Amino acid sequence: MSDEPKSCSTPFDAEPTASRSTVPMWIVVLTLTLLFLGAVYFDHHSGWFNASVYQPYASAAELDTYQPKSGAAAILAQGKKNYEMICGVCHGPDGMGKPNQAPPLAGSEWVNTKGFGRLAHIPLLGLSGPLQVEGKDWSLSMAPMGAALSDADLAGVLTYIRSSWGNQAGAVTADDVRAVRAALGGRPQPMNMQQLKAMAE
Amino acid sequence: MKNGALVFLAVFVALGLSWCGFVLAPARQLGNAKQTTILNSTDLYPMGRPGDANMGLQVYRANGCAACHTEQVRQSGVTCNVVLTGAGKNPELVSNLVSTLKLNGLAKEVADAVSDRITAAGGKAEIHIIATGPDISRGWGTRQSVAEDFLYDYPVQTGSLRAGPDLANIGVREPDANWQLAHLYAPSSEVKGSVMPSIHFLFEVRKTGGAPSPDALVFPKGFGPPAGYEVVPKPEAKELAAYLLSLRANVPLYSAPFTP
Amino acid sequence: MTEMQPQDAKTQASDPKIDASCLVPLLALSGGAALWLVIGSVLAMIASIKFHAPGFLADCPWLTYGRVQPAADDALLYGFCIPAALGVMLWIFARLSRAPLCLPFVPVVAANLWHLGVFIGLVGVLAGESTGFAWLEFPRGGSVLLFAAFLLIAIPAVATFGQRRERELYPSHWFLLAALLWFPWIYATGNLFLVALPVRGVAQAAINLWFASNLIFVWFGLAGLGVSFYLLPKFAGRPLQSHYLALFAFWTLILFGTWCGISAGAPLPAWMPALSTVAASLTIIPVLAVAAIMWKTLCGSTHSETRGGPFCFIRFGVASFVLAGLMLIAMACPQISKVTEFTWCGPAQTQLQLYGFFAMTMFGAIYHILPQAAGFEFPLQKLARVHFWISTLGVLLLVTPLAIGGLVQGFKWANPSVAPVDVARAALPFLRVSTTGLLLLLLGNLLFALNIFAVTLKWKFALLKTMIAAVKAPLDTKGETTSAFASLRRDKEVKA
Repeated sequence: MSDEPKSCSTPFDAEPTASRSTVPMWIVVLTLTLLFLGAVYFDHHSGWFNASVYQPYASAAELDTYQPKSGAAAILAQGKKNYEMICGVCHGPDGMGKPNQAPPLAGSEWVNTKGFGRLAHIPLLGLSGPLQVEGKDWSLSMAPMGAALSDADLAGVLTYIRSSWGNQAGAVTADDVRAVRAALGGRPQPMNMQQLKAMAE
Repeated sequence: MKNGALVFLAVFVALGLSWCGFVLAPARQLGNAKQTTILNSTDLYPMGRPGDANMGLQVYRANGCAACHTEQVRQSGVTCNVVLTGAGKNPELVSNLVSTLKLNGLAKEVADAVSDRITAAGGKAEIHIIATGPDISRGWGTRQSVAEDFLYDYPVQTGSLRAGPDLANIGVREPDANWQLAHLYAPSSEVKGSVMPSIHFLFEVRKTGGAPSPDALVFPKGFGPPAGYEVVPKPEAKELAAYLLSLRANVPLYSAPFTP
Repeated sequence: MTEMQPQDAKTQASDPKIDASCLVPLLALSGGAALWLVIGSVLAMIASIKFHAPGFLADCPWLTYGRVQPAADDALLYGFCIPAALGVMLWIFARLSRAPLCLPFVPVVAANLWHLGVFIGLVGVLAGESTGFAWLEFPRGGSVLLFAAFLLIAIPAVATFGQRRERELYPSHWFLLAALLWFPWIYATGNLFLVALPVRGVAQAAINLWFASNLIFVWFGLAGLGVSFYLLPKFAGRPLQSHYLALFAFWTLILFGTWCGISAGAPLPAWMPALSTVAASLTIIPVLAVAAIMWKTLCGSTHSETRGGPFCFIRFGVASFVLAGLMLIAMACPQISKVTEFTWCGPAQTQLQLYGFFAMTMFGAIYHILPQAAGFEFPLQKLARVHFWISTLGVLLLVTPLAIGGLVQGFKWANPSVAPVDVARAALPFLRVSTTGLLLLLLGNLLFALNIFAVTLKWKFALLKTMIAAVKAPLDTKGETTSAFASLRRDKEVKA
C-alpha cells in the first residue's frame, strides 16, 4: 500500500522521532498577549460571575440602572389587577358597590382622606356593624380581605382605589402599609363603627 | 517529561479546571435556582407548566424538534424611551421643550437627563426600558431568555440551529391551538411556502361520522383532507400543542428588565 | 518489507509480531466502524433530502427529520469515529512501546460491546427515546455499554504503554493518553449530570454545550493529532518538528480548548459566554502551533508518496483541523457570532472537524495500518485511491455550501424584515449542493467499507484454512505448523 522510501534517513517502518528545536518565540509572545487581552475582555463583559447579569449588560451596576422604577403606571396596573381579583367582587369593578354586599368606594369619604391609616385598617382587620357611607347606611360585615396581601400589593390596591373613579386622594406606599401592620400586633378583631370613627385618619 | 505520574496529575488538573468551571459552577449557580418575581409585582415566575404541556415537552424531545428550532431569544442591547405622562401646570412650555428633545432610543444617563429637564419644566415623564436586537425586532420575544424561563423543564431544549423560527414565545405569537395543530399536520397550510416536514404520524385521518369530531382540525381552503374525512389529533399532538402554547417568555424579570 | 539496517533502536524496523497482535482488535473495531459509517451516511442522506422534499417519508415516525439527523450524527461520531480511533490508538501504543499489545482479547470483547451499544443507541433515537441532549441522545442502555466498552479498551492501551522500555515519551503518547482519560470523564459527566441525576434548569444547556465542544473539538483534536503526529513524520521521512512545539500545542489545547463551547447568545449568565469567547480566541495558539508543526515537518519531505494514498488522507486531515479550528475561533467572536450563531455555519464547522479532519485521518491511518497488521495488501487497492478523491470532493461539497448558506441565512435572520420562510428558502440551494456532497461521501464510505470487509473476509478465510489444516494434519513435517495466514505473510515478504 505504501511506497518504499527512495532515499531517506530513517527506514519507513521505523518509529517516528521528534526534533528538539525550541518553541518559536512569536507563539509564546502571542499567547501572553492574548491572555492579557482576554483578561481585559473578561473584566468588561462578564459581570464577574453574577448570576443575574446576562449579556449585553456588562455589570451588576449597569443592570441595576436599567430596572424600570415602579412608575405610577406600573403600580396602578398591578393595584387594579389585585383590586379586581379581590375587592371588585363585592365593591364592583367600577367602585360603585353592590346593594346588600358592599358600600361604594367611588366618592366615599372613608377613602378620600388625607391620611391613609384609618383606611388601611379596613382591609387589614375587616369591618362589621353599621356604617354610613355617602349618606347611606350599610349594615354588613367585611372579612379582612387585604390581610393576605403583601405590603406592596395592598399599597397598590389602596393607591388604585384612591385615584380611580373620580377619587383624588394621595398614594399609599408599601412602607406605609408595613408601619400600619406593625402597629397592629396581637390577634386583630374586625372593627366596628365606633372604633373606626375613633381612629385618626 | 518522563515521570508518568506527574504528567498524569498535571493533565488531570488542567482538564479538571474546565470541568469545575463549566460543569460544577453552573450546576451550583443555576442548578439551585429558584423562582423569581416578575418586576414590579409579587407574582412568582415561572409557574410550572400544566401537565399536558410537560407531556408535550417529551413529545418535542422524542421527535427532535430542537434539531431545527431554538427556544432562546437573544438581546443585543437595551435602550430607554422617555414618555410624557403629565403636562403639569405649564403645558405649552413642556410641549415646546419636548419638541426640541430626542425622546427615543436613549442610553440610561441621557434618558435620566431628559426626564429631569421635563420635570424641571413642570411636566411628568417616565422612562420606559426597551430591549433591542434582531430577535426582538422580529417579535420573537420582548426580552432575552434567561435561566428562569427554563427552571422546571426537563430536558431543556434550547436548540442550536434556526432552520425555522425561534419558539421561546410561540405561545404568545400563535395562541390558537388549531393553528398549532394544523401547522404540525400541514405546515404550508398555515405558513405559505414552508419547508418544515409534515408530522402526519401524530394525527389520524378518519371518515367523518354523523357529526364532525370537536377535535377535528380546521384547515384553510385548499388544504386538509378529502371530503368526508377529518383530521383528528392524537393525544401526543394535543400535548405538543399544549406545550407550544405554554411557551411564553414575555414578562419582565430582574435579569431581563423592560417596561411592559 | 524494508531490509534490516544496522541502526540504533529508534530507527530499527518494527517486529511484525507487534503488528500481528493488533490485527484482531483492529478488525473488530474498524469492521463495525465501517458498517456504522455507511449506515450513518445513509441516514444523513435521508435527513438532507427531507429539506428539499418535506413530504419524503413523512408518515414514518422513525424517519422524521428530528430523529434521523441526530441518529446520522451519532452514527458517524460514536459508530465510526471513536472505534476507529481506538483501534488505531492500540496499534500506535504497541508500536511506540515496541511490545505486542497486552490482553489482545479484551479490545475484541469491548468492540462488540461498543457496537452493541451503538446499535441500541441508534434504535433508541429513531424510536423516539432520545434523551434530548445534543451528542448525548443515546438512551441509558446504549450509553452505559459505550462507557464500559471504552474503559475496557483503555485498560490494554495503558497496559501496553506500561510495557515500554524507552522512558522518553513521544508527543503522540501525551495526546493519546489524555484522550483515554478525557472521554470517560466527559461522557460520564454528560450522562450523570444530564440524564441520570439531572441538574435543574438551564444548567443542563451549559453542561451540554461544554460536553459537545469538549468532545468534538478537544477529544477529537487530541486523538486525531496524536495519530497524525505519529504518522506524519513516518510518511514525510523526517522527524516531527518539534517535540517541544507539539507539547506546547498539547498543553494549550487542553488548557484553552476545554473552555470553548458556550455560545454568545445562550440564556446563561454573562460570565460563561465571556469565558468561552476568551478561550476561543486563545485557541488560535494550538491551531497555529499544529499548522507550524505540519508545515515544518512536511517541508523538505524526501518521501515519495502514492497519489491518493494514506499520506494524502493525513495531510488533508491536518489541514482540515487547522481550517476547522479557525472557523471555530471566528464563529466565537461576538461580532461574527451575531450573524453565524444558529445557522448552518455551526454544522459546517462540526462536519469539517468530524469528517474533514477526523474521519479522513482515520481513513489514512487504517489504510496504512491494516495491511501491516494483516500482513497482506488490501484486495481492492485502487478503490482506496478513488476513495480519497471522492471523499475530498465530498467534504468540499458538503462543508463549503453549508458555510456559505449559513452566512446567507445569518444575514437574513439579522434583518427583521425578512420572513422566516424566505430565510429557510434562501438556504435551500446551498443545502442541495451539500446533499450532493453527502452522496459522494456515501460512495466513498462504501468503498472504504468494501475494503475493510474484503480484508476481514480474507483473514477469516485464511483462519478457516489454518483451522482445517490444523485438524487435518496436526503434525506437519519438521514440526512446523503451516498456516495459510503465515504463507500470506511470506508471500508479501517475497514480493518486497
